[in-house]
Amino acid sequence: MSEETELVAALQSEQPEAALGLLFERYADRIYRLALGILGDTGSAEDVVQDTFLSALTHRQQFEGRSSLATWLYRIATNASLSRLRERSPLPLPEEDPVSDEGAVIPLPKELTEWRFTPDQMLLDGELREELDKAVQRLPDSLRVVFLLRDVQELTTEETADIVGISVGAVKVRLHRARLELRERLAEYVAETMGG
Amino acid sequence: MNCEELIKYLSDYIDNNLDEALRADAEEHLRTCHNCHVALDTTKKTILIYKELGGQPIPASKRSDLYARLQKAIEARKECPPGTENSA
Repeated sequence: MSEETELVAALQSEQPEAALGLLFERYADRIYRLALGILGDTGSAEDVVQDTFLSALTHRQQFEGRSSLATWLYRIATNASLSRLRERSPLPLPEEDPVSDEGAVIPLPKELTEWRFTPDQMLLDGELREELDKAVQRLPDSLRVVFLLRDVQELTTEETADIVGISVGAVKVRLHRARLELRERLAEYVAETMGG
Repeated sequence: MNCEELIKYLSDYIDNNLDEALRADAEEHLRTCHNCHVALDTTKKTILIYKELGGQPIPASKRSDLYARLQKAIEARKECPPGTENSA
């Protein structure tokens, strides 16, 4: 019996606390960071962590093993985060208009100054860190979620498609657009403040 | 391959998803086009920066609080399982 199978069996038993504790140990940090990236504030991210594990406890018998436990938890957390976003703003904001994945025009990069600093050096700049947070929050929700799952949580394209409920092709298009938009915003900041 | 095509395939290039012929075309273009080389380098750095930023753990005290909140919620469910309010 694999470790995952044993964990599922323990989670679906009458005494699921230990299995839930193990899942918390493994995934709470990642779920917190995902929720923080989607929602942008620590209080809401904490609530999503709690909602995710309570929901996993409540609905544990519905887990059928078609995906991994990790993917299942990410799906719950993503839905909980998006649901909180919708509560905040019942009417879609202009930037939340559905993204057209098919035939999306990819703009050419504009700011093309070379960056003389390494990512580690750049992260020492407090203002830049604020700029990074702002840039990711300004992305449309549909691009932000895909970017966070693929490039920050390092899930595969297939896992991301499964969690978000879109095609693999749509994940690729959204990821590409998110990367280019973030690069452009960061490049503008670097050119203005760090001299490239 | 021209600049527009290179940018179109940039993420696939970074993720190593291009077939051999397209990858060779992209590399040939990157050898001669400074702007596309910068676009590739800065996109890779953007991804690395966010990965690094998102890789920081939850502060320990906050993590303990979260675990305690979860345990409390589980205990509360045991004392008052869903549906018991209608079972009298």
